[in-house]
Amino acid sequence: MSAIGGGTPTPTARTVQELDQEESFGGRRRFLGGWRRRWNRMARWQQWLFLIIVLAAIYYLPVANPWLITTEPGNDFPISCFQMAVYALVGVGLNVVVGFAGLLDLGYIAFFAIGSYTAAFFTSPDSAVIHIPYLWTLPLAIGIAMVFGVALGLPTLRLRGDYLAIVTLGFGEIIRILATIIPAAKGQVGFKEVGHPPGTDSQGHPIFSVSNGTPWYWLAVTVIIVILMLVGNLERSRVGRAWIAIREDEDAAEIMGVPTFKFKLWAFAIGAGIGGLSGALFAGQVGFVNNQKFDVATSMLFVAAVVLGGSGNKVGALLGGAIVAYIPLRFTAIADYKYLIFGVILIVLMIFRPQGLVAAKSHLLTYSRVVADRVRELRSARGAPSRGTPVRPAAHAADESTRGGAE
Amino acid sequence: MTTLLELKDVVVGYGRIEALHGLSFTVEEGEIVSLIGANGAGKTTTMKAISGLLNLSRGSILFDGQDITRMKAHVRVARGISQAPEGRGIFPGMTVLENLDMGTYGRKDRTGVKEDLERVFALFPRLAERRSQVGGTMSGGEQQMLAIGRALMGHPRLLLLDEPSMGLAPQFIRQIFRIIAEINEQGTTILLVEQNANQALARADRAFVLETGTITHSGSGRELLTDPAIKEAYLGVA
Repeated sequence: MSAIGGGTPTPTARTVQELDQEESFGGRRRFLGGWRRRWNRMARWQQWLFLIIVLAAIYYLPVANPWLITTEPGNDFPISCFQMAVYALVGVGLNVVVGFAGLLDLGYIAFFAIGSYTAAFFTSPDSAVIHIPYLWTLPLAIGIAMVFGVALGLPTLRLRGDYLAIVTLGFGEIIRILATIIPAAKGQVGFKEVGHPPGTDSQGHPIFSVSNGTPWYWLAVTVIIVILMLVGNLERSRVGRAWIAIREDEDAAEIMGVPTFKFKLWAFAIGAGIGGLSGALFAGQVGFVNNQKFDVATSMLFVAAVVLGGSGNKVGALLGGAIVAYIPLRFTAIADYKYLIFGVILIVLMIFRPQGLVAAKSHLLTYSRVVADRVRELRSARGAPSRGTPVRPAAHAADESTRGGAE
Repeated sequence: MTTLLELKDVVVGYGRIEALHGLSFTVEEGEIVSLIGANGAGKTTTMKAISGLLNLSRGSILFDGQDITRMKAHVRVARGISQAPEGRGIFPGMTVLENLDMGTYGRKDRTGVKEDLERVFALFPRLAERRSQVGGTMSGGEQQMLAIGRALMGHPRLLLLDEPSMGLAPQFIRQIFRIIAEINEQGTTILLVEQNANQALARADRAFVLETGTITHSGSGRELLTDPAIKEAYLGVA
């Protein structure tokens, strides 16, 4: 919670006119900006209702298998949905690194690979390591990926911009090559029969199987919701403020008393953990892990997903991830040209909407909700208050804005 | 008067190129000290060395009697050194209020924040008017006010001002320097670097002239203002 917004009634109070101005700034934004404004104006119960309907639709998606949207006959739709969910989770994780802290990580696939191999090592019969239940590998994958994230971050986060990008690119390659040359990683042969969550259906078949994507999709969506809530809380905390300050101007952040190195390392570690988690989920569903899936091009695709969706906005990154996964699955005829197509899309996007589909807010995420509430109240009670009316400051805005995902 | 800041034989280099060759000077508590010099003389390097953004290759920096040479920049803020960086360095996407709020980031005490905010708004009424405006959309002078105000929100004992007059209109320059003097009267020690030697010397208790990484002249502000060599080189008077 912002210290200034917190305790000072008069000096920080905004006037109605200022609020109106802010509204008109929002109004000038077209496209998804209008949605955000509309969302902020909704009452809390309306937001909940809306969220519940959207969530129900999202959970129902693979079962509904809607015409036109479906990826069949080319690809099984529930499995495609699961892959979209995994990419969406990757988007959310990479967004913490690229979007929040402004650190360009071109080797994010490495953490995805580390998560996949963690799941494989501890569950596949091909592995000599001790075996643990699959669900335990999810937190383990987060932990191990975070350790690697810190190990990569400690020596490299003193670098800036392009230099950091090059080092992370190299790291991505190192992990892929290690998977090829270390005998225990089994190179192209890989690990078969990676574990899955427990449970069998009435005929005794496992619920979580390689051929049935729906339960996996539900698991992934649930994981995404939990991660979104955690990331959302971080974003609104002191940590989130530090990240935004670092992204805007690292030196300025440092001389404001922000321990920039520490918070960059945290962004790296948290991003890595989410990457590891998505890798472990992916490995479980596919049931097979070898060294073929973790190339640099996929890393680029991850970055493209974040940039496309809106770097710095978690909902945008989520959307970007899902879109990047969906397009080649849906339009199988053009799947081979996906890099070309995404390249063109990104160029067009950079010209017409450089902030991505859903724009980030460089504000500290403290005020917007409260401001919207105020404007609505004042509009409904039109007449009496106008210019210069002190408005309740953004006290406890943090608690008020801890609702759902869309900021 | 006690010595608040002391630089002893400070050497700072970028790679192999030395920007400061053994700089030594002190700032006493309660003073305004000006460091003047041309482009490339090492003014900003000196500031960054004091705030901790640059590491020293040799020498030491003492703040309030303690050696802070190896201390990280963000820790120095908590000790009482705040900087308004060159080129203003505000957070362009944040509002005025959010920028000021960032200035309190390193503070442990939450009680004094309100008074400091009122103090900043009293010094810069313009910031109070524009409190919800996005920093990047403000004029140069307003951004400069914001940078100084933000540094004050850290409640510093020593305020470092890097070229506060850069790129400002003449009436703004006079105003900024008047406010700097006022901040000083309220008890904050100030070290400022300037190309605008006239104003910087007129307001300073003491001043140093920096040329290619070494101090060539020192004295009270008034002495340097009337020094013929300084007049010729920095004040544009033959």
